[in-house]
Amino acid sequence: MSGNKPNTTKSIFTHAGVYLSLFLFLLPFLWMLLASFKTQVQILDTSKLFEITANFSNYISVFNKYSFLSFIWNSFIVGVGATVFGLILGLPAAYSIARYKQEGLGLLILVARIVPGISFLIPWFIIFSKLHLIDTYTSLILSHMLVTMPFIIWVMIPFFEGLPHELEESARVDGCSIPSAFVRVMLPISGPGIVTSSILAFIFSWNNFMFSLILAGDNTKTLPIAVFNFISYSEINWGGLMAASVIITAPVLILALFAQKYIIAGLTGGSVKG
Amino acid sequence: MKSSLVGLKKAAGYLAIVVGISSALVGCSGESATSSDSKSADKTEKKVQEIRVVAANHPWTESIKKELPAFEKETGIKVKIDSYFEDQLTQKTSVEFASNSKGIDVVMFRPLQDGKMYNKSGYFAEMSSYVGSEKGYTDDFIPSSLGSVKDGEKFYGLPLVTETEVLYYRKDLLEKAGLEVPKTLEDLEAAAKKLNDPAKGVSGFVSRGKRAAAVTQFSSYLYDFGGDFMKDGKSTITSPEAIEAFNYYGKMLNKYGPKGTLNMSWPEAMAVFTQGHAAFYTDASSLFTNATDPAKSQVADKVGFAPFPAGPEGIKPYNITSWALGIGANSEKKDAAWKFIKWVESKEMVLKLQTEGNPGARISVWNSPEGTAKFPKDLAEAIAANGKAEAVPYDRPVLINVGAARDVIGDVILAGIEGKDVKAAAEKADKEFQKILDSEK
Repeated sequence: MSGNKPNTTKSIFTHAGVYLSLFLFLLPFLWMLLASFKTQVQILDTSKLFEITANFSNYISVFNKYSFLSFIWNSFIVGVGATVFGLILGLPAAYSIARYKQEGLGLLILVARIVPGISFLIPWFIIFSKLHLIDTYTSLILSHMLVTMPFIIWVMIPFFEGLPHELEESARVDGCSIPSAFVRVMLPISGPGIVTSSILAFIFSWNNFMFSLILAGDNTKTLPIAVFNFISYSEINWGGLMAASVIITAPVLILALFAQKYIIAGLTGGSVKG
Repeated sequence: MKSSLVGLKKAAGYLAIVVGISSALVGCSGESATSSDSKSADKTEKKVQEIRVVAANHPWTESIKKELPAFEKETGIKVKIDSYFEDQLTQKTSVEFASNSKGIDVVMFRPLQDGKMYNKSGYFAEMSSYVGSEKGYTDDFIPSSLGSVKDGEKFYGLPLVTETEVLYYRKDLLEKAGLEVPKTLEDLEAAAKKLNDPAKGVSGFVSRGKRAAAVTQFSSYLYDFGGDFMKDGKSTITSPEAIEAFNYYGKMLNKYGPKGTLNMSWPEAMAVFTQGHAAFYTDASSLFTNATDPAKSQVADKVGFAPFPAGPEGIKPYNITSWALGIGANSEKKDAAWKFIKWVESKEMVLKLQTEGNPGARISVWNSPEGTAKFPKDLAEAIAANGKAEAVPYDRPVLINVGAARDVIGDVILAGIEGKDVKAAAEKADKEFQKILDSEK
């Protein structure tokens, strides 16, 4: 019996810690959710902080008055496009960096990610406006690839490094070229890594603000820009803002919960190398 | 022979890839604003022109969008409006202007925050020739509003939306205590002292206390005491008048203010007032609907408005142009842009938009009963009284680097609110402020 006691105290502390951090992390979400169902007066009244109301007018105005569907669509196209093209270029790149130890190249790609994004913006704006690509999905997808591709590459390098060389070699013996060994043998077993990197890459693109601000226009405005429609010079529509935030967060949250087990497998996949 | 054929095949293959990629790019490009702009600019004036207006998320923008079809019908000029939140607007327009893009024909900007920087950087087309070609065009505009958009005698914009600092107060609390509406800063302090009742959750006074945000609303106090931010390129924030103003403002918030004023910009301070937790509040007139709309305010029917109280040097509130319209320097459709500005600034249109709650800059509209119908009666009177007073055309030091200057001056305001040594803080800020001034010479 005596051996049990430290365990119980330990588990009490662990639980307390878990709930405390959950509380701290979830409180803003809770507030966001509650506020999205309230009117302005109710939101600002601190005595009714946790009062639950069911008033859908904020959500209705988000879709009717602010036509959020088109912004969701824009964000979706750009996010998926940037992730897919990021995968097409990033996966072979990551494999080659991992397989042939091209560390210099890897570093160069990382530098592109480290340089503050804003320093690209003026040259990009000039180039894209000369090409008449401002306010198009093309320019947005291309610019968001700067966010997604290096990320995909850097998540995938340790993953590919963790895969045994022998697999590729056996495929070669059986008559595969290097590219086809990559496509037929290595890619199919990299599922968890690819899922992780694409989900996180999609989320980064979904939340990207700066590139969309400069390169998007009225036709391609993405969600993070559109959220600011609720803040104007002399008014902040808190209810609408929170309803829009719920709508923006929900897909990402669902996506992350759904793919949670892949993410953990993917992030730790490369960590134990033989 | 054979090898050259292989080379040719390879080249053809590359070509096919390039064509494929570029057509795919064009395929997803969709409608492009800039491309249609430049195309129509190449053709003659008679063709349908489209101008691009980059504007702020502002009630004015919402109102004008509804009126656009009439303008298109009248002039044949199509207007496309992109609107952004104010800070984004600054970022977006600076990048576009800095890259010499021709995309912006008309720009909505904040004269006091961005005007000087944009003007010095050559982002604006000179507007004096357009304004000058109409005789007596500016006679009907409030002079202090025009002052916000001029560089010497040259116009780089026209005032669109104006605002001034007024006193918001709680009618019911004043009545209960048998107090008159304060006419001077002395009265205001006495009344705030009397109404300050923290036990009941009501503080006497609230206003902005957050570093940079507080500077604009502090400015009227500064002018009231006879001070100013600078004079002839020299900082004057250590003058005895300025110190007195810093002390007064700090004392009001320190003694009679709610908790946490150091973190309050207008949304927070306004929330304290509209939740019924403060008796007096000084801020911009443009925010009034937040206080008078029952959907946003618990004290909507109890709010009164008064002109800014008089200080030792009389009533000297700021009365400024918060938003103005300018023409992009690289625009290829400047004439069309001016036609648009002239149309939105016409007496009829300013009146129409002002009846929807957008305070304009035309004197005749403010003097007409329709022009003030949308405003609470006492607010309209307060704005008119402020306009007649010795109003100051700026609410912050007008510089290129406004943000840094506001931070420096904000520090002194903070010291005042915290009850620290204001003079020492002002002397420290004075040096930094002077550095900013010197760097812009």
